[in-house]
Amino acid sequence: MNDGPLIVQSDKTLLLEVDHPGAGEARKAIAPFAELERSPEHIHTYRLTPLGLWNARAAGHDAEQVVDALLTHSRYAVPHALLVDIAETMGRYGRLRLEKHPTHGLVLSSTDRPVLEEVLRAKKIAGMLGARIDDDSVVVHASERGNLKQALLKLGWPAEDFAGYVDGEAHPIELAQDGWELRKYQSEAAESFWHGGSGVVVLPCGAGKTIVGAAAMAQAKATTLILVTNTVSARQWKDELVRRTSLTADEIGEYSGSVKEIRPVTIATYQVMTTRRKGVYSHLELLDARDWGLIVYDEVHLLPAPIFRMTADLQARRRIGLTATLVREDGREGEVFSLIGPKRYDAPWKDIEAQGYIAPADCVEVRVTLPEGQRIAYATAEPEERYRLASCTHAKIDVVRRLVDQHPERPTLVIGQYIDQLDELGEVLGAPVIKGETPVKERQRLFDAFRSGEEPLLVVSKVANFSIDLPSAEVAIQVSGSFGSRQEEAQRLGRLLRPKAEGKSAHFYTVVSRDTVDADFAQNRQRFLAEQGYAYRIIDAADLDTAR
Amino acid sequence: MLDALVVANQTTQSELLRIVHADPDAAAAACDRLVDLALVWESPGGLRPLSGVAEALRGDEAAGVSGLRPMSPDPATPDEVEGRLALISPGARALLEHVLAHGSEGTTGNARRTVSPADAATPVEELIAHRLLVPRDGGLLVLPGEVGIALRGGRTTTTPRDAVPEIASSARESTLVERTAGGAAFDVVRRTELLLDHWGLEPPATLRSGGLAVRDLKAAAAELQVSEPEAGLLVEVAAAAGLLTTATDPEGNEVWLPTDGFDTWAASSTAERWVTLALAWLDTTRLPSLIGGKDPGGKTWNALAPDLSSVMAPEARSLALTELAGLPEGQVLATGTGVPSVVERVAWLRPRRPSVHRDLVAAAVHEAGLLGLVGAGGLSTAGRAVLEHDHDAALAAITPHLPQPVDHVLLQADLTAVAPGPLETELARTLHLLADVESRGGATVYRFTTGSVRRAFDAGWSALEVHDFVGSVSRTPVPQPLTYLVDDVARTFGTVRVGSAEAFLRADDEAALTELLHHPKASTLGLRRIAPTVLISTVPIDLLLPRLRELGAAPVVEAPDGTVRVARRDLLRARRPRTSRTRSAAAARAHATVASVVTAIRSGDRATEGRPATPAVATTPSGALAALREAIEARETVVIGYVDNHGASSDRVVDPLRLEGGQLTAHDHRSDDERLFAVHRITTVTPLSPARP
Repeated sequence: MNDGPLIVQSDKTLLLEVDHPGAGEARKAIAPFAELERSPEHIHTYRLTPLGLWNARAAGHDAEQVVDALLTHSRYAVPHALLVDIAETMGRYGRLRLEKHPTHGLVLSSTDRPVLEEVLRAKKIAGMLGARIDDDSVVVHASERGNLKQALLKLGWPAEDFAGYVDGEAHPIELAQDGWELRKYQSEAAESFWHGGSGVVVLPCGAGKTIVGAAAMAQAKATTLILVTNTVSARQWKDELVRRTSLTADEIGEYSGSVKEIRPVTIATYQVMTTRRKGVYSHLELLDARDWGLIVYDEVHLLPAPIFRMTADLQARRRIGLTATLVREDGREGEVFSLIGPKRYDAPWKDIEAQGYIAPADCVEVRVTLPEGQRIAYATAEPEERYRLASCTHAKIDVVRRLVDQHPERPTLVIGQYIDQLDELGEVLGAPVIKGETPVKERQRLFDAFRSGEEPLLVVSKVANFSIDLPSAEVAIQVSGSFGSRQEEAQRLGRLLRPKAEGKSAHFYTVVSRDTVDADFAQNRQRFLAEQGYAYRIIDAADLDTAR
Repeated sequence: MLDALVVANQTTQSELLRIVHADPDAAAAACDRLVDLALVWESPGGLRPLSGVAEALRGDEAAGVSGLRPMSPDPATPDEVEGRLALISPGARALLEHVLAHGSEGTTGNARRTVSPADAATPVEELIAHRLLVPRDGGLLVLPGEVGIALRGGRTTTTPRDAVPEIASSARESTLVERTAGGAAFDVVRRTELLLDHWGLEPPATLRSGGLAVRDLKAAAAELQVSEPEAGLLVEVAAAAGLLTTATDPEGNEVWLPTDGFDTWAASSTAERWVTLALAWLDTTRLPSLIGGKDPGGKTWNALAPDLSSVMAPEARSLALTELAGLPEGQVLATGTGVPSVVERVAWLRPRRPSVHRDLVAAAVHEAGLLGLVGAGGLSTAGRAVLEHDHDAALAAITPHLPQPVDHVLLQADLTAVAPGPLETELARTLHLLADVESRGGATVYRFTTGSVRRAFDAGWSALEVHDFVGSVSRTPVPQPLTYLVDDVARTFGTVRVGSAEAFLRADDEAALTELLHHPKASTLGLRRIAPTVLISTVPIDLLLPRLRELGAAPVVEAPDGTVRVARRDLLRARRPRTSRTRSAAAARAHATVASVVTAIRSGDRATEGRPATPAVATTPSGALAALREAIEARETVVIGYVDNHGASSDRVVDPLRLEGGQLTAHDHRSDDERLFAVHRITTVTPLSPARP
């Protein structure tokens, strides 16, 4: 028996005992190939997945290293079958290679002829390949590079892409590090992305993903297309780039519903890219408008399916994806892997928090009891109405008011899903409400006021979930959400995690109705928080005043 | 050697040494040994095998013997044979080699049996002509031993028989062997316990043929997170160790159940349990490796099927493990080539085992790996002890390599509890009740859910006990959400109560109910108050009602829908019997009767009308026949006097149609139908006078 910190389970999960003296080293050893699944306080769970193992292969690790890491750090014997499985899975990567051929252009070649034969016979792939050059290679239609990679991944024979990237149109971009400097993990992230060619960087909200994007641009020194979730976040990117890099406002264009500028650095929204007129994506030409050297996908876990298809055509360009979580509620993690690239960097939230780069958060779930009349209404409601009924109870309004009163003078966000409820809250609290119909200008003004401290309290709908930089928010109270989405929880918590002055901790409240679906959904989200290492407390609304 | 002697029949030792493909010294030694064993005796004409040896040796071609027939009584010299072989065509040569490879026998088919080399038409005939194949009785063609030897280059076998097949091995640290084996051993014990525990609650049915259904094996494999063959092995080993047997469950179905031995087994230490399983495996005649395969009849072998055993199995296992034990320290089987080399070696040691034996050896090495006797391709110390059936040594050897049981868990805010090693049995069972298992292996991850905590409450735990237990087993502080979860479940637990009662009594007047409840004579009614205005009773309503009236109450009965039922007793009345036929059918029938009567009357009337005034004189039979023929031709209606079966005579008005075979076919007016009349019974035939207008 070995006294390692790692326990290998038969279902391919790895349990890492955090308090063990060897934990740090073990974590470093397994991080390249195992996906961190949960990181609660004592035992972190990693999972071995084919994707993770292929990620590791793509990053230059071989099966021997993986097996060695497991054997060295494992406390108990590692099941032999698991080791065999690892070697087999990793052996599948790179049997097929996508290469540049001097005369034939893009070719798919293999050193293992049976694999190539198997793949060539797959129906889904037939249309993507051209003529057979010789026994071991076949021409690939250049436009199908992405689709092919995606299809090969589904077949379980992921191809290694050696075809390289086009440099794109050069454009000087430097980081302007005056009065601030790149954090260690940020430069590591940019560095590992650059060496990998393309890929995804996973960092918690508030950890400065924009700056990683800027650093990547400074590496590429080429024209860049940045795809973001919405207009407000597009403007924030622009401001941030002006502040952090040598780029001037004139060099950065915005391509959104209202403005259509194409500049050396262009920021476009997902929405405008997916807008269709008469069934045709009318803004696709943006992708070819310039010879882009780098494409940045902000919040890659939200990448809409049409963008996936477009991305499939962009395989010759470098791509970087930025996200706080690779969890996709639609389970399309595999497509991110094949189209944008493998995960190049990630760090657990708690680690970054420990370094002081993101603020610690105190998560509290407040349970309210529905009044008798509403309980009856809830009990007899149609299933599809129940969540709305439960989460919009008036009992919550009072709780929110008391919570706001508990944190006077601290910038507070109240976040919700249902507009009626938000309007009512705005009225009761005397705070402005930002919702979908609020004009961009008005939103911008309110956000600015919030940042400067003029407006200490905002009631926001889900428009504020993503990429809106509100560094001053210290308290968030969520009253309703979209059916327990884990990703939404991460985003909302992320609003709070920008480091605070004097190292104050942030407060994250969730108000839920007891004994209803609202509580069930909340449980799902809380579990996600706990798995990210944020311990949370549950208190009853009645104990609110004493429980602080 | 012996085989070669049988082939050569009676021969000298030098001749024998020439044809055996082996080093002469070794062959000579083997020859001496055979003489010592009295399997061979030295006759004046040379060495001879003992009678019966030849018969005992003659197995099938796959059995490892050379597959040669004995030489002809007067064999040609090797040179002559070579000469003849040189003469034949390539086709004949190929055929000859095919015959050699398939047992040295063939059938003549339609080949002529006596041909000269010159007019041989087919390869077979060519071979017969050259006496390379000898025809025997029953259309059999036999390849004589001397030809076979010549074809094999002058020896009875193509490969040397004295070279021991090497075992392919590679270097591996022995600690790794021990650890891997220990890990596997632990897993086997854990999984066996898990499976049998599970089957103790939900036993799988025994098939009519005695095995375990494929579906149940699949379910077991999923439950244990192993492949189906491995699950099959565990099941078979458990049965071999006497932990699992077939029995009748309370409903009378045949099922597989853990035995009472399982409880003893489960209570002993992990090492002890493993040794029991390992020894059971080593000695069992069961063939777990065949599960899921097809039997000769094409049927799938089920796990635990009674026929799934072979006496060769234990021998194959012990031979295979002995070979592994023979590897030098620090050497293990090479990956890939190791197992086939063991199979070759065992096949050499036991040449006359059927080919299935080879599969058994390969399976034995594989199974030993799964069971933890072998780790990373090397026999562990404990495995060695098991091979020698040394119970105590095995126990001592395996103990240090098994994880030590732990007595604590780590609780986390995401409501999981992680046991960083195997839990002590009692603790594991308790946790199993309180939480759901999420992942197994060296460690176990449990998750507390509303459902799991409620399950504990159902089993009689109180919230306080749960808190105490959780607090005592955890090394870390109990997270607040878990405490909250337990309290929250306790809050809603039992909010809705369910019970059974024969009747309920309700009244708005609480005092009236109280009075009833405390009435001295009401004690037999089993009354209990469940709400201020509701009592329940254990006595059914029909008994309760008169008793309540005796007690002076004036109860009314509520129907199931809550309406009050009037308590007057129903007057008893029987239902009037209903006539079974409906009116219309009866009317139709009556109508038909009337109609037929009218028809009969009318035809009678016509008969009377048309009758001559004087009664008809009896016609002679020939006259009657003539009259009838006449009537048939003329298509006339006649009146016949007819005597029926009872001797009664009547007049019928008929239209004669045919006359044949002594019978008249005619249309009878009265019955309005075609009838047959016997001619000899017709007394008179009178033409009917035309009806009067």
